Amino acid sequence: MQNRHTQVDTEAFEALLLPVLPKAYGTAYHLTHSRDDAEDLVQEASLQAYRAFHTFQPGTNFKAWFFKILINLFRNHCRKRKREPEIAPLDDAPDLYLYSQTAQTGLHKDHDNPAELVLEQMTEAQIRRAITALPNEYQIVCILYFINELAYQEIADMVGVPVGTVRSRLHRGRKLLQKSLWHVANEETPLSNLKLSYEGTPA
Amino acid sequence: MNPDERRYTCEETFRRLEDYVDRELSAEEMERVREHLKTCEGCAHEFHFHEQTLQSLRNRLQRIAMPPALLSRITQAIRQE
Repeated sequence: MQNRHTQVDTEAFEALLLPVLPKAYGTAYHLTHSRDDAEDLVQEASLQAYRAFHTFQPGTNFKAWFFKILINLFRNHCRKRKREPEIAPLDDAPDLYLYSQTAQTGLHKDHDNPAELVLEQMTEAQIRRAITALPNEYQIVCILYFINELAYQEIADMVGVPVGTVRSRLHRGRKLLQKSLWHVANEETPLSNLKLSYEGTPA
Repeated sequence: MNPDERRYTCEETFRRLEDYVDRELSAEEMERVREHLKTCEGCAHEFHFHEQTLQSLRNRLQRIAMPPALLSRITQAIRQE
């Protein structure tokens, strides 16, 4: 391909791109569930953004523009691979799911932060399994939210849906994620045992 | 307006839990939720736990470091375009 960019363009592009790459990689990793696929996705998005840099309006939100490209590429990959959630789709979860489950298990009595206790004893693979139980569009919104700490409007701009859709997907997605995390966390080591072992009693 | 009329019930407060935690409410709504939480221990506890849960999730999910080599791979690829 003939290089349409001057050195100034390339430097301006890199100055905007490089600071957003770590969060882009974190987002790509949780979307693809693979370090290699995440690297490929971020590199492909970077090159596509570079080729389209002449369409970027200076002074607007570069991160939102770049992430929109990244999300679209991810969706295209999913369509090609016909990727579906790896485990059975979850039924809806009640509000404050982790709160009620950790309370029922007795984890509130002895711990200031029972949610952290649950999450910290989970492996990276377990966290990955819990996320994959969410439908793709819910995964996208939740991962953008948790990794990037964005306002709903920014997520809406990246995903290309109205802000109300982001709100409802986040609301449901976060509940589903809590339910999924709880189920995966309990599969191998029931968390009631965790409570007992913290109290010094053999589980 | 009578101050009591502006006070949210537990149900009205709970409905705003997520938007409150994400700072997506108007300034007036934020204030009304804050006022409710000052006087309602039950709601304050639930809100606190919800915030903690989201923060713990954020901490857990953000613990992925970009491989240092990726940066040079990308800049090299850009310069070869």
